[in-house]
Amino acid sequence: MQVEVSRRKFLQGSVAMSIVGGSSIGVTNLLASHNEKESKTSITTKTGTGEAKEIATLCEMCVNKCAALARVEDGIVTKLNPNPRFPKSKNMLCPRGNAGIQALYDPDRLKHPMIRVGKKGEGEFKKVSWEEAYEAILNGTDKFTGMNKILDEEKDNRSSFLFCAGEGMAEHTFKQFYSAFGSANWLNHASLCLQTVISGYGVTLGGYPQADLDNAEYVIMAGANRAEAIVTPDTMDIFKRTKRRGAKLICIDPRFTNTAAKADKWLAINPGTDLAFVLALTYVVITEELYDKKYVEENVAGFDKYKVNILDNKYTPEWAEKITNIKAKEIYKIAREFMAHAPKAVYYPGRRSTFSNNDFQLRRAMAIFQGISGGVDTKGGLVFGKKLKLSPHASLVPLYDRAQARAVNKVERTKGQVGYSDCAVVSGGGSWVGWRNRYLENKMPYNVRGMFIYKHNPMMNMPNTQKTAQMLEKMELVVAIDTMPSDTVMYADVVLPECTYLERTDPVKTFGGVEPSIAQRNKVLDPMFETKPVMEILRGLTEKISKPIFDITKKYDEEVQSEIKDSSEEEVYAEFDLTKPFEHSQEEVNEHMVKGLYGEEAVEALKKHGVFYPDMDKYFKQVSANEHQYYPQKKKYYSVNGGKAKTESKKVECYLPNLAKKCVDPMPMWHDEYNFNVPNGKFRLLTGRHAQFTQSGTSNNAVLRDLMPENYLWINRRVAEKKHIKFGDMIEISSSVGKTRIKAYPTEKIAPNQLFFVHGFGEESESLTWAYKNGGNDNAVIEDIIEPVYGASSMHETNVEIRKV
Amino acid sequence: MARYGMALDYKNCINCKACEVACKEENGVLLGADKHRIWVGVKEIEGEYPLLDIVSSTFMPSQCQHCDDAPCEMVCPTHATYYDDNNVVRVDVDKCILCSYCMNACPYDARYVDDRTMTVDKCTFCSDTRLERGEVTTACQNTCPTKVRTFGDLDDPDSEISELLRTREHFSLKANLGTKPKLFYLT
Repeated sequence: MQVEVSRRKFLQGSVAMSIVGGSSIGVTNLLASHNEKESKTSITTKTGTGEAKEIATLCEMCVNKCAALARVEDGIVTKLNPNPRFPKSKNMLCPRGNAGIQALYDPDRLKHPMIRVGKKGEGEFKKVSWEEAYEAILNGTDKFTGMNKILDEEKDNRSSFLFCAGEGMAEHTFKQFYSAFGSANWLNHASLCLQTVISGYGVTLGGYPQADLDNAEYVIMAGANRAEAIVTPDTMDIFKRTKRRGAKLICIDPRFTNTAAKADKWLAINPGTDLAFVLALTYVVITEELYDKKYVEENVAGFDKYKVNILDNKYTPEWAEKITNIKAKEIYKIAREFMAHAPKAVYYPGRRSTFSNNDFQLRRAMAIFQGISGGVDTKGGLVFGKKLKLSPHASLVPLYDRAQARAVNKVERTKGQVGYSDCAVVSGGGSWVGWRNRYLENKMPYNVRGMFIYKHNPMMNMPNTQKTAQMLEKMELVVAIDTMPSDTVMYADVVLPECTYLERTDPVKTFGGVEPSIAQRNKVLDPMFETKPVMEILRGLTEKISKPIFDITKKYDEEVQSEIKDSSEEEVYAEFDLTKPFEHSQEEVNEHMVKGLYGEEAVEALKKHGVFYPDMDKYFKQVSANEHQYYPQKKKYYSVNGGKAKTESKKVECYLPNLAKKCVDPMPMWHDEYNFNVPNGKFRLLTGRHAQFTQSGTSNNAVLRDLMPENYLWINRRVAEKKHIKFGDMIEISSSVGKTRIKAYPTEKIAPNQLFFVHGFGEESESLTWAYKNGGNDNAVIEDIIEPVYGASSMHETNVEIRKV
Repeated sequence: MARYGMALDYKNCINCKACEVACKEENGVLLGADKHRIWVGVKEIEGEYPLLDIVSSTFMPSQCQHCDDAPCEMVCPTHATYYDDNNVVRVDVDKCILCSYCMNACPYDARYVDDRTMTVDKCTFCSDTRLERGEVTTACQNTCPTKVRTFGDLDDPDSEISELLRTREHFSLKANLGTKPKLFYLT
């Protein structure tokens, strides 16, 4: 019989809660961990029929923020149900959303503040009080340097600290700390995620649009996998309508994904060649004059130049067939069908990592193709939708005279035009891998010595894990705020435990779209153990450090010195008081953000229902067991800009001279180096997502492991047969940067010269019972190649070798 | 008193397995890949890359079919398997002796052993959780992103499920066995 560990027992603390130990545990424990894993297996808690509270929250198991209702019985969350009131998530919770309870009751959670006592990276920590943790950050210990010393030695250059954060509702709160602290070094997930798609659409259409998959009649989904990488409401909208039920779905993907399984047609494309496919589609619609001529004349800029580019370069379907491996006749057919359905036709923008070096240009070409169909800001096409306003709240951005600009190296790109050494443009989120590599190569304009990490796992989330480890080792002070003892936390000097999303109220957020709304994550339970929401963590931290580090500013900052002479120290300090952004509770801040605009009614609705939009009471109703109305048809915001792009010119921009100045093609073009090539005996490594796990953030979730215990290596069945590789055989994958091991899954769903496995597995932190060495880590082998425009990591440019072990 | 059944718009299923987790969390089902009341059936695709047969990779959500002529009920020597007031096929844990006849008799492989009670367990249509609380959907229906399932009373002509079965073509699994399933797959 299995040993049961109920969630109630977890609360009572009868579970052996191992304090994070790391490799100091030693070999005996390591071998024993197998049994320990079994005995730690928690079970799900059956819902009861007695009294229960229902609290409206928002899910944080991935980035979608779907609305959930937490069922609380006797102080325990027994079930997370979908909240039907939210137009974005439309009464659904995916497997991860359902498994959110396990994030709350994960026995491996970080429970107390800790400071490093062992060697860096070995994960040997000492449990301390919050005060001791803050003291260690300010003044260091015998093991690591404190903030005071670093800032003093760097003469108040606030940029000597790097701040980085993962995506999330409270990222905003942490970013306020970064702004008040005065550093210019901010790195977030963008360059590892959707930087090129957001920017490509941004410069071409003036915004990153949504797709009206509820009304589109024809959808090309290329390199987007909505059946597995769930995005709400897109996933729910499209798959009810495919298979001859209203929308024709063309799936273009090197792999046969679940999206391919739901499509009307799947075309296997060579990785990284989607741009050639779009250019050829454009060639067909230009030569056959299928585009919306009136729309192009009025609303598309630079079309003539683009037309010449397409025609002169002879981007014919026959040309594209050789590059993409998609038959020319299919390209003709898709181009004609798309335009026949336009404007109710969507070339789906997608929302994913950069896969190839041409990704920015691919996005531009996709946006232009959509633009010339006329399907912009219109029902059934791409839509911008409306966003409900929120009142701003006070933030603190002091001016530190000694703080240097972001650590980038400027170079002259073209005559008189300054660019950067890593990439043409530096976005707000920066180029993570570019920054890391320059830091390791000592190519920084000044010293960066400390680092704050919030809800971010650089050890798992970016290519070349080994280099990330070197970076974390080199940093003199690493402070990590997290809920789980991740691989990155193992490299921290100070660990500050945050509570999970079910234990905190987060900043209220507005969700734009055809059916806009405002939603709020309400606290379901009080934080367990000694954990706190990031707002309170930063309140405590800033109370500790604000005055001491202002003294350093006073010492070096001549501007501040003269201001003090002119007024008083008290008055000047008020502008530098880091505690200011955190003095109010999140509940108070949220109330302030909605009350002035929408009244007390909105404040109450957000607390009670988690969702608010004007006239919600009038509009929202249940239509059937599975459907709800959020807005009446006539009140939906399909068109908000008169069918035009949102660029400054109000036109779709085909040709951008500013890009040329930065040595970037001013319009999408093909270059031979984009061709797909794999040397004999090697494979192109593809990575991606699926519906049961979110990157490395859910890797330790025992309930999700129930669905998929580990990740598997997709290898073509015939290739596997030749190599005598069977299902479950252990394979070592190696590239120029490292190795990882993973079990094989021979299948016909992948090409003979390609391999695939999902991202987020194979963590090295021994404090993660279920995730430790479970499956393969893609970033251990993906090479640190960045694309030239934003320095985003190109995830599908690595060739690898395999060996059965 | 009702005669509960379920209609499945199975073409909507994307194999995300939200239903499997919702079922386990709602009903306190044991963790473990072999302990499940509901599941999504998938088989390996036919053909050779890139010429694959899309239709061969259909996702089939499945569970106990709550047959009107249930072989599991017929073979149970202790009458542990029974029809409750709503015609839902249930197992009485106090009567079950784990002879496993029912597991062998079920043509849909819908039964497994709960290691805590050492009795046979299966889908209950959330009878002792959601239905008992007066809720009108099952956990799997409620959570489904693409809304595959519609649960309801087959005896009520005005119910959504009755309307669906009147207006949409549908089939049952292994209909030739004459088990009269109350799960209906919409085409």
